[in-house]
Amino acid sequence: MAAPVLALRDVSKSFGATRALSGMTLELWPGEVHAVVGENGAGKSTMIKIMTGVHAPSTGGVEVDGRPVTLSGPREARAKGVSAIYQEPMVFPDLDVAENIFISATDLGLVQRRGLLRERARELIARIGMSLDPDRVASGLTLAEQQAVEIARALSQDVRVLIMDEPTASLSAHEAGELRRIARGLAAEGVAVVYISHRLEEIFEVAHRVTVIRDGSHISTRPIAEVTPERMIAEMVGREVGNYFRKDESHATPEVLLSVRGLGVEDAFEGVSFDIHRGEVLCLAGLIGARRTDVALSLFGIRPATAGRVLWKGQEVRIGSPRAAMALGIAYVSEDRRKLGLALPLSIRSNVTLATLGKVLTRWGLMRERAERAVTQGYRERLNIRMADADTPVGKLSGGNQQKVMLAKWLETNPQLLIFDEPTRGIDVGAKAEVHDLIRQFVRQGGAALVISSDLPEVLALGDRILVMREGRQMGVIPHEAATQEGVMRLATGQDRDAA
Amino acid sequence: MTRVLGPWETFLLAVLVLVYAANAWISPQFLTVGNQINLFQLSIEKIIIALVMAFVIINAEIDLSVGSMMGLSACAFATLVEAGTPAALACALCLGIGPAGGFLNGWFVARLGLPSLVVTLATLIGFRGLARILLEDRSIGGFPDWFAALGQRGLIGPVPLGLLSFLVLFALLYVVLEKGGFGRKTYVIGVSRDVAEFAGLDTARHKILIFMASGLVASYAGLLFAARVGAVRGDVGQGFELDIITMALLGGVSIFGGSGTLTGVGLAILIVLSLRNGMSLMNVTGHIQTGVVGLLLIASVLVPRLGARLARRAPA
Repeated sequence: MAAPVLALRDVSKSFGATRALSGMTLELWPGEVHAVVGENGAGKSTMIKIMTGVHAPSTGGVEVDGRPVTLSGPREARAKGVSAIYQEPMVFPDLDVAENIFISATDLGLVQRRGLLRERARELIARIGMSLDPDRVASGLTLAEQQAVEIARALSQDVRVLIMDEPTASLSAHEAGELRRIARGLAAEGVAVVYISHRLEEIFEVAHRVTVIRDGSHISTRPIAEVTPERMIAEMVGREVGNYFRKDESHATPEVLLSVRGLGVEDAFEGVSFDIHRGEVLCLAGLIGARRTDVALSLFGIRPATAGRVLWKGQEVRIGSPRAAMALGIAYVSEDRRKLGLALPLSIRSNVTLATLGKVLTRWGLMRERAERAVTQGYRERLNIRMADADTPVGKLSGGNQQKVMLAKWLETNPQLLIFDEPTRGIDVGAKAEVHDLIRQFVRQGGAALVISSDLPEVLALGDRILVMREGRQMGVIPHEAATQEGVMRLATGQDRDAA
Repeated sequence: MTRVLGPWETFLLAVLVLVYAANAWISPQFLTVGNQINLFQLSIEKIIIALVMAFVIINAEIDLSVGSMMGLSACAFATLVEAGTPAALACALCLGIGPAGGFLNGWFVARLGLPSLVVTLATLIGFRGLARILLEDRSIGGFPDWFAALGQRGLIGPVPLGLLSFLVLFALLYVVLEKGGFGRKTYVIGVSRDVAEFAGLDTARHKILIFMASGLVASYAGLLFAARVGAVRGDVGQGFELDIITMALLGGVSIFGGSGTLTGVGLAILIVLSLRNGMSLMNVTGHIQTGVVGLLLIASVLVPRLGARLARRAPA
């Protein structure tokens, strides 16, 4: 009878050429809170999606009570007692609490009996030790209350495995404590709780066992008492140096290009201060929710800063729009190529000249097509963009080549500060190395680069200095010589805070 | 943007040749100069506005208020003339109403971020209301002879002002959309306003300009109508917006924005006009004509999809 309630046996999952999970093994026992930790992109989301039936494993199997099962979808997973709640709760804002809890209930008959519904909702809410009026409309609930609704919804379906994916990332300290109490309470009732969090301190508070995963593989599973934060971080980042080698020394000059003092944007981040010198690469490291992109968006004028000062070449400036940022010489290579970076159905040359249309127009506002083609051809050679011709829609290129077209668009604005947001996410290793070379080359020629990256080896290879953020706060700045993956992770997870 | 005719334009051209051939075969009057000019003149207001509507829709917006704006300008003109204003001055004043109304539309859409479907539906009602207030249920005519002549007689040979305006506007807008920086921005903003905004384009200004152009052309169309028909009522241009949008969509302009060509819209206009004209010559009633245009619109959405599906099925 001793079988785990849910188990993954040697599960692998590939999406096209990308391998998200390989040989993942995990056993969940009734009554435990089982924490799963790993870097961004380590494979946690894929693992959840396999446990909840969203994805089928490529190889390997899922077992429930020791028997192999095939989960055809979330509905079947729920029927087997596996539910998940996420950082952003999924509630229907116009329905009340009771209706939300029983949203997928099928045994209530054609006519909902409101009295019964409300009664059962009250019981479920009481079971997790909350007080919440079943008649309240969901749109008026706090995030924490919405999550309670989701947990109650899972309980209404006789949950045996509850997966909590970053449940506390958007909660206040008090609410997060409540949620951890609920997780422990459910475990005490015999539910297996999977707890995924970037906050290491809360893992030590809530979990019975911890599994570390890295690069889609299982690294270790241990009782919490046998783990230290240092060891956990070491396992998360791995021991190997990584695939990237630092190719040259720092080219940072004494000349400060951009200074930021106490920068903040309401409800996003605060107290960010740094200098970027000409010739320097400053990396912004941190985990999801560190609000690094918000820093970039404020420097590019999309969401202008609400606090602090920005000095450009020593002069105080206010960057109120992308046009203002571009006029100074700031460009932002967005993380989201599809939504923010490229007009995918339009031709490569239209995209290359997008931000600098004026340069290829005649006095009468007509396109100088030959000039536009020449510009595009120039970048094709310089950045090694593999394309058939300049009229091809940019959406038909591979991810790496799209990234280069986006880079060409910004290089054409002749920027002095280039902000890169996850410049190599989703592109292959070869293109990655090329993008790294381009960034180094750009600073060698007197530019400065601010690189946001969740890829620690990349951060270590590229950054002359590394600024680490956590939950909207600057945790410290590490010079390249002193930087290690563990050191960055300690700051990013709040284990350390240096004084820099 | 570089090829002269895309696949859809080629298809439209084939349909157009077919319709012309059939019409010429059925009715000997079809190809006479008089009938060809007449064919344009009967819908001249709609087809002029359709050219600018292409810009509006490529820019991922919609302007439902053009028919009402046309009516408002025509009614304002009639009211001014009746009150003793010289017709030339009245024309100039009324040409200002369109851009003003267009600015209003554009401001709400581009600066406040309201959906253009809702904003221009509201101004469709509002502009029409103003037109009705001006004229109530009267009909005003008796414009000066020179004004009526502009609407009814040939200006250059047999070609009247309306058709001439259409041809000039087509040439001008073709260059602006397909060869100009303004056109390029129109496409980019239509594909993704965020991408354009992140590239530093002033998307709000651009959208407002397009709505103002749409208003200006609608006003001009209202004056053309007054000159052509010789009398104005409160319902001038009512319901025109749907025919206008139909022509743009049939021309291959995507309702989601970002794609379409003026060549396609020009061909679609010719197809709709010659179909209607041919059916009229065969004494087919207007309602059936409308039904046929409707079928054509459905086909225009369906055919490219079928084509894509067949292409997928064919061995690579």
